[in-house]
This record gives sequence, structure tokens and C-alpha cells, in this order.
Amino acid sequence: MRDYHGIVFAYHDEPALRDLTANRTAASLPFCSRYRLIDFALSSLRNAGVLDVGVIMQRDYQSLLDHIGSSKAWDMSRKSGGLRMLPPFGLPQYHTGNYNGTIEALNAVSAYIRHIPQKHVILLLGNMAANIDLDAVIRQHEKAGTDATAICAGQDLASSHSRYLLGEDGLVKYIDLFRTGGKGVASLEGYIFNKDKLLELMDVCRTRNLYRFHQDAMTYFLYEAGGKMDVYLHPGYARIIRSVDEYYQASRDVLDPVKRRELFPADRPVRTKIHEDVSTYYGEHAKSHNSLVGDNCIIEGEVEDCVIFSGCHIGAGAKLKGCIVMRNCTVEEDARLEYVIADKQACFSRGATLIGSPNLPTVVPKDAKI
Amino acid sequence: MKKSCIAMLLAGGQGSRLYALTQNVAKPSVPFGGKYRIIDFPLSNCANSGIDTVGVLTQYKPLQLNSYIGTGQPWDLDVSDGGVYILPPYLGAHEQGSWFTGTANAIYQNLAFIENYDPENVLILSGDHIYKMDYAKMLREHLEKDAACTIAVLQVSLEEATRFGIMNVGEDGYVSEFEEKPKHPKSDLASMGIYIFNWQKLRKYLIEDEADPNSSKDFGKNIIPNMLRNGEKLWPYRFDGYWRDVGTITSLWDANMDMLSTTLINLYDPEWPISSRSPVCPPHYTGEKAEIIHSIVTEGCEIEGHVENSVLSPSVRVGEGAKVLYSVLMPGAVVEPGAVVEYAIVGENTVIKAGAHVGAEPDGTDAWGVATCGPDITIREGAVVPAAAMIYTGEEV
Repeated sequence: MRDYHGIVFAYHDEPALRDLTANRTAASLPFCSRYRLIDFALSSLRNAGVLDVGVIMQRDYQSLLDHIGSSKAWDMSRKSGGLRMLPPFGLPQYHTGNYNGTIEALNAVSAYIRHIPQKHVILLLGNMAANIDLDAVIRQHEKAGTDATAICAGQDLASSHSRYLLGEDGLVKYIDLFRTGGKGVASLEGYIFNKDKLLELMDVCRTRNLYRFHQDAMTYFLYEAGGKMDVYLHPGYARIIRSVDEYYQASRDVLDPVKRRELFPADRPVRTKIHEDVSTYYGEHAKSHNSLVGDNCIIEGEVEDCVIFSGCHIGAGAKLKGCIVMRNCTVEEDARLEYVIADKQACFSRGATLIGSPNLPTVVPKDAKI
Repeated sequence: MKKSCIAMLLAGGQGSRLYALTQNVAKPSVPFGGKYRIIDFPLSNCANSGIDTVGVLTQYKPLQLNSYIGTGQPWDLDVSDGGVYILPPYLGAHEQGSWFTGTANAIYQNLAFIENYDPENVLILSGDHIYKMDYAKMLREHLEKDAACTIAVLQVSLEEATRFGIMNVGEDGYVSEFEEKPKHPKSDLASMGIYIFNWQKLRKYLIEDEADPNSSKDFGKNIIPNMLRNGEKLWPYRFDGYWRDVGTITSLWDANMDMLSTTLINLYDPEWPISSRSPVCPPHYTGEKAEIIHSIVTEGCEIEGHVENSVLSPSVRVGEGAKVLYSVLMPGAVVEPGAVVEYAIVGENTVIKAGAHVGAEPDGTDAWGVATCGPDITIREGAVVPAAAMIYTGEEV
């Protein structure tokens, strides 16, 4: 058994995801035809043999609970240990409003963290599309012998992230908050921490009434406590999903064969809840170009540059371009959709037309009928 | 724990008429219809019919079948007071025991397993049929008719009847005569090889049959005729849905092609799901130049070429400019750019290299047939595999 325990943050309720997170957290956003974003974090842990995992959640977690179920899909349904869902417990203040930051979220489940039998904790975002080789991260962390290792992006990222600037010893010297590009390396907000060190940070922040991870805890750790932190550069694709735009771009990114292989390498499979799905049927006049299509669909129309989830029906004569169509949507005959994100079970009637723009895709909420 | 009905699934057949496809696996674990293996159909039927205890009798190359069935979880058969059990032949003390010598003998050798559950009835199934059937309905009729044995029957044409075991029915509706592959059939009711027996009756006949040195220990040849001779009540349960035996290359190919038509067998019916052990691959990708017409495609596939009237299993790759027509591609099969596969079955992980040509259109002659490549073969660049060819694993083509 590995001396590492996973903590996945699945409480984020990102306002910029608008209708997509009306009834779910960012971690349970459907992604790439059959997955939910949290599958990446859970699969990364599973593939590194880390099976004891806590998932921190706060509100709107029905879809997350339904998705994770017994956690058997990730082999985390164990006799001892395994996956635990962590709603807030302890102080009543944690039950209302949103967590103000990652440290507050950790403090809300501090009793759990104190009782973790392992020495090291791996912190991961639930709303990130990245297949991280945690085995390699752990090896590097053990070699460095530091209190912590930050998982950072090895590729350029377009959006805003905290960045770490490194000293000559290769360890983190400074932190720059919320930058787009610039010096240093972008944090993917994944960390390996010595558990006692992490508890110390949580305690310090609580006594000072601070709750943010990078702004508060990391500045304390680096500048006051003299903490030593190594950096692991994740070589593959990675996107943190915090807005509709980021969701749309990441969904389209998966159509690129190189990025797709980085997200779904053969030796580190992404596991997910298994649905009872049959094969997808293509009709006599179907066309499907540069698209990802889930199972259990009936495709009779034309799709191009699309991500179609399982259980969708695309009627004859319907034309879809640049769309993300979630589970069980129906697009009736001759409907035309461009640059639309259709949430689950949406229905587009015969002949309906809806055109968004690649820079501002139109979001159609769950169960909507157009 | 007493059960009303448990199922015994005969999955030990060698499947010798599938040649290269069963060179290293038992017939029930041959991939079928895109996402399935043949055994998914009877197992799913059991689960959907509320039969939660299934013994799977294996003896021929069972490794893949064993790992495929596992705990039975994909079919919800991982229950605490039943479940799915793999039952291989075994030896007892003093070297007692042997290979299964016939279908009836296979059940006889597992009397102890059945008695653990002390069932009132036992359902006997084959592992090589494609169909959706509610065994609970059959069981109700079996009980209503107070039958010693109920045999599922299918109406066939009189020409076809010569290939089946045929039931002749008396005025009271019960079976009056059973003929195995009759030259001049008197009835068109063919046995589907699906039986429900009253367990106490079956037990008696199995023990008697075992003692008969001249018996071939077979349900159709021995047990059923013996029961008829003794005046037991045998009831024919009429089934009128889709049912195919997939014991030959042609019938396996035909039945796969049937999966393209929801009017023949609807696999999209949420009321009667056919479950399988899913490999959990990413969704399938269709490239810029892909053309997919009247075909089924599933997870893990990457399609850049032309696919028409075909059945693709998980993780199949079809390269740019390649053509796949009227074919069945099993999991992990690769058709490289410019290769042509038509009227063919391509086994698991077999690679058809660029420019190779497998199979041919029907030409109306008797010599024509579906071309078959077994699993784990590489068909080299530009090679031609003619119609009706049978390529075995290990052969170089």
C-alpha cells in the first residue's frame, strides 16, 4: 500500500460556468462524450495505486454522488480505506454560503485529514482535464525529499494561473498570483504535501482567519515557514475548467489527436461510471467528420467538429457544427445547430436553428426544448 | 436456500465450426455484435428474467471466458445468495471424474452444485445463441402446464426443419414425439436447445441415463426421448422472437449483420438490456475524411476511412482510404490505410496492413464464402485473402 492519500476538490461552484453548473459542481461536468471531469483526478490516483481518497464537496453534489456511486469504477470500493465523500462537518459556518477558498474547504473536513493514516497527501482539482502520471510525481517527490511538490503545466496555458518562480536549486522561490503567461511555471493546483506540514498550514490559516490556498497558505509556507517545494512539470495536456469558454475550448481540444492521446494514454486509462450502452448506429445518409461520438447514439444527420455524448439522436437532415451535445439530447430532422453547448436531455425540434459563435458558444440548459 | 429456478449454461462447446475464431477461446466468448460476446445474451436474459443463480459449464479453453465472466458484476449477477459460477470438470478422490462426455453428463457431474440451491426447476441454456427471451414467462407456463420438462420451440420452415430437433405435438398441446433432424418432418416446431426441467424429475433421469452404457449422455438424444417414452408431460413453449444459432462462420456473420437492423433485434430497448463487460475506452472518433454508412461503431474506435454495412467492436482502427464493407471487425482489429476488407470477419487485434485485400463480393458460386482471419494475425502489405479463406493465428499471410 502506498503511503499517499488523495484529496480531490469537488466543491467548486464556478459562476463563469453559468447554466452548466446550475445543478452540479464543476467536477461533475460531463466531458468528452462519456466522462465527468472528476474522472481524470480519480483515474490519475487509481493508476498510481492510490486508492484511499477523500472527495471534498459542499453543495449541489447529487450528480456527483450519482456518478461516483460505490466508487467501484476506480477500484476504490475497499474493505478498509477506499473513497470517502466529504461533505462539510464540524463548525456550522461551513454549511452555509460557499467555501471561501481551498484552505477553508480543507479545514471543514480537518478531522478527516487528521485521521489519514498515510504520511503524504496528494491534492488534486476535480475540475481539471488532465491525465497526470502521479507515479512519476511521487517518484520525483521522494527523490527531492521536500515538504511538498507542486504539479505545474509543462505546456503553455492560455488562462490565468498562479505561477511559481524557481531558484537555482530548482525549488520554488516565489509565487506570482493569477497571471496569464509571464515568468515561471503555471500551477495546476495539484500538490503532494507532507500531511503534518499541510495540517500546520491549515492551523495557521484558521488562527489568522485566512482561507485561500495560494494567496494565504503558500505565501506563508514559502516566505514565513521557509518551506521547501519542488516542481513537477506535467508534460501532457491540462486545462482547469472554470468558465463556459474554457469548457468549450477543452471539449474541442479533445478532437485533436495529439491532445486526445495525452488525455487518454493507453497505459493510464481514464475510468468512469459504466452505463448500459449499446453501439452507435450510423444511418444511410449520416456524415460524421472530425467528431467524437459516444455509444448508444443514432446518427442520421451530419455532424462536424462536434462532441456528441451517449444516447443522442441526430435526425435525418439535421446539421451540427462545432457543438457539444450532452447525454440523451434529441436533434430532430433538419434542425441546424452551430457552436451550441446542449446540456443533458435537451431537445431541438424539427427545423429549429440555433447559431452561436466559436468565441461565445450558446448554452442550452438541461431539459430545454427548442 | 431454496430457489424456484436456477440456470445451467452449457458453455463447454469447442465451437469447431468457427475454426480460427475458436482456436484459442471457447465459443461463448467469441466477440459478437460490436460490444458483446456471445455469452452476454443468455447471461443478460437470466438477469433480466430474475434468475440470479447461473452455473456456467466450461471445459474447452476457458481462460478468456473465466476472466470475462469474473464476479458476474456486469450482469448484476454478483449477489450474495446466488451469482454466476464457473463449473469446470474436476476429479474427485480415487481419480473419479472426467471430462464432460455430453450435455446431460455435464449437468450430472454438477449434481452437487445444483443441490446446494435445492431448486424446484432447472433451466438449461446453450452458450451459442443470440436472442432475447423472458425465461420467467417460460417458467410460468412450465408451472401452469405442470410439465416435467418445457422445451422452447421456434416455428421454422419445413425445409429448415431437417436441421433441427423437431417436436410433434398431440391434440392436448403436449409434445407427443421428438425427432432429431428428421428427413421428413411432421411438424415445424424446432427445439431451441432451451429447457426447463422439474429438478427432481431431471435428477432421476440423469442418474438413470448415466448408468446406461449405450447412452451418448445428451439431452436431445437421450434425456428427452426417455422422458417421452415414460409418458412424462413435455410442454412446447412457443417463442416467436429473433433467435439465431451462431455455430458456423456464415451464421455468425449473418447474425452480426442482423445487428444493423433494429426491426430484427432491438438492442436499444432499455427494458431488456444486453449487458457486457465494457473495456471503458474513450468515445469513438470519426476523422475529416471518414464515411460511415449503415454501420455500428463503438468506444475506442478511430475511423478515418470508409465503413459500410459493417459491425465494429471496441478499439477498431480504420485508416484513411481504407474500405470496410459488409464485415465484422472484432476488438482491436486494425485496417491500415488503403486496405480493403469486404465480406469478412477479422479477429481480435488482427492487423490488415496497407493495401491488403481481404474477402470478396459474392459471385454466385458455391465456392464463395465469408473470409475469416483469426485473432492476432498480421496480413502483410498488399496481400490478398480470397473469399471463403480461413486464416489461423500463427499463419503468415
